[in-house]
Amino acid sequence: MSKRKAPVAAAKKSTSASREECACECQIVDLERLRELAEIATEFDLAEIELDACGGVRVVRRAAGAPAPVAAAPLPPPVHLAAPAEKAAKPAETGTLITSPFVGTFYRAPAPESPAFTDVGQTVRKGQVVCIVEAMKLMNEIESEFDGKVVEILVKNSEHVEYGQPLFRIEKA
Amino acid sequence: MFKKVLIANRGEIALRVIRACRDLGLRSVAVHSTADADSLHVRFADEKVCIGPPPARQSYLNIPALISAAEVTGADAIHPGYGFLAENAEFAEVVQKCGLHWIGPQPEVMRTMGDKVSARKAMEAAGVPVVPGSPIIETDKQAEAAIERIGFPVIIKATGGGGGRGMKIVEDKSRLFSQLAAARSEAQAGFNNPAVYMERYIGRPRHIEVQVLGDGQSALALGERECSIQRRHQKLIEEAPSVALDDARRIELLRVARKATAAIGYKTVGTLEFLLDENKQFFFIEMNTRIQVEHTVTEMVFGVDLVREQMRLAAGDPLHMPTEMRPRGHAIELRINAEDPVTFAPSPGTITALNLPGGIGIRVDTHIYAHYRVPPFYDSLLAKLVAHGDNRNVALARMRRALDEVVVEGIKTNCDLHRRVLNHPDFIGGRFDTHFLERL
Repeated sequence: MSKRKAPVAAAKKSTSASREECACECQIVDLERLRELAEIATEFDLAEIELDACGGVRVVRRAAGAPAPVAAAPLPPPVHLAAPAEKAAKPAETGTLITSPFVGTFYRAPAPESPAFTDVGQTVRKGQVVCIVEAMKLMNEIESEFDGKVVEILVKNSEHVEYGQPLFRIEKA
Repeated sequence: MFKKVLIANRGEIALRVIRACRDLGLRSVAVHSTADADSLHVRFADEKVCIGPPPARQSYLNIPALISAAEVTGADAIHPGYGFLAENAEFAEVVQKCGLHWIGPQPEVMRTMGDKVSARKAMEAAGVPVVPGSPIIETDKQAEAAIERIGFPVIIKATGGGGGRGMKIVEDKSRLFSQLAAARSEAQAGFNNPAVYMERYIGRPRHIEVQVLGDGQSALALGERECSIQRRHQKLIEEAPSVALDDARRIELLRVARKATAAIGYKTVGTLEFLLDENKQFFFIEMNTRIQVEHTVTEMVFGVDLVREQMRLAAGDPLHMPTEMRPRGHAIELRINAEDPVTFAPSPGTITALNLPGGIGIRVDTHIYAHYRVPPFYDSLLAKLVAHGDNRNVALARMRRALDEVVVEGIKTNCDLHRRVLNHPDFIGGRFDTHFLERL
């Protein structure tokens, strides 16, 4: 939902052993350390950094393809790296969202047989109708508030949507 | 019985209704504003729908959004809780027109009882004593004639008003006409309706109310509650039974309340509110056509789930309880609010540490948890702390113990105020009226 542009660095513990189970003298991997690693990963375009149970860097893999690496394995939850680190590992999201202004049913076309208002890859202009949200038997046309290109449609046709739910991701022109 | 209940409310009462749904095997739908996305009622319902931005007008009071949420989730009944749209007859009608069950009384009864003048008329017709009063006063001559019957002191009230706003007390004739004129313009400004009327003013009343249930045919009065500890008509401490009634008075009060409830053909649960004067005469003041915040104390002493009964009655089940039920022991409820104990200013913010009390005889109804952010958009009720015991002293001792176990850090609460009341000799001795807190 919120925009995150930093490519994801995946720091991963190679074992899921808890600190108590670990035989060696563990270093706590704190957020500072994680942030450092994330910066290094960004700088050198790394997809994965693996830490051993003692906090030492063991394996470093280079990013495979061109685009920013998405959705590396989420951090294992144990001990020191719990909640905040999980957030850092969420996939990168770009673009601007068109959200639903009310509760209702989402329709991509004006009628079941009609073509969709828009589709992924198509451009939309400000004021252009992109979908319908039906609420209390009223068909409400939802317009784009800016010029851009549809990157993703986040709701399936005739699905229910709630207030504020993202409908489209648009790359602003 | 219906299958899926949408709860058009938030906070502890939404959670209360969800719990009753669970117990009955019904599915529940929580609705919430964007400010309440992290609320417990959202977490514990079977389904959830975000219906709007933080302001209540655009979310919890937004009838199209609520109906739409019921439609998309396939809910077949709506529970309004208390506050928000709970006493809005128009909403009840819309709900029914959309083919959904309304978990409340019939809209026409809500309308009658929601207007003070028509409610009073209906109660008088049913043989309920009402505070001596006047019809709408438009001229000075009408005012003089009314005073002949009522006698001073009188209180001037707006027919469209509520919550104590626009009320004026007049002790003698010298200020009568000027106060009437002032009340009219205030009523016009505040409620867009200049109509005012007068009533005998009861100087030191106790607030006693009766929990009633009806199935449209027969009715039941499930004991009384005393709610005299209040500030600006906001109740803070409620208890059941009341120490102010002896058996004869109680029997009379409950008989009158039951008769009136049956007379208006009331369906589901409601409350008849009375003032008890110094001579132990009781007078009807208003009816609340919904579940109330303080229904918990009645539940504790009667061992009845009132929200479950409310849903059963809304689904068309007949009353199935015996007409003569006796309360067991005594129950007290404290409303823990997010507010300054001295200035009463609201205190929203994040709860940094929390401990809720427990142990024998204690019940806590709340939607808060550690790290919960109390939003600034809604009322300040955080938790209802209820203590039950074999008698009032046992309940009081348990309540003091429970209050000492309450830890809420990060925001201010009125716990200290409650402590002062619970330790006050007049409160302990049962000697109080609705002005107790002002004198504290």
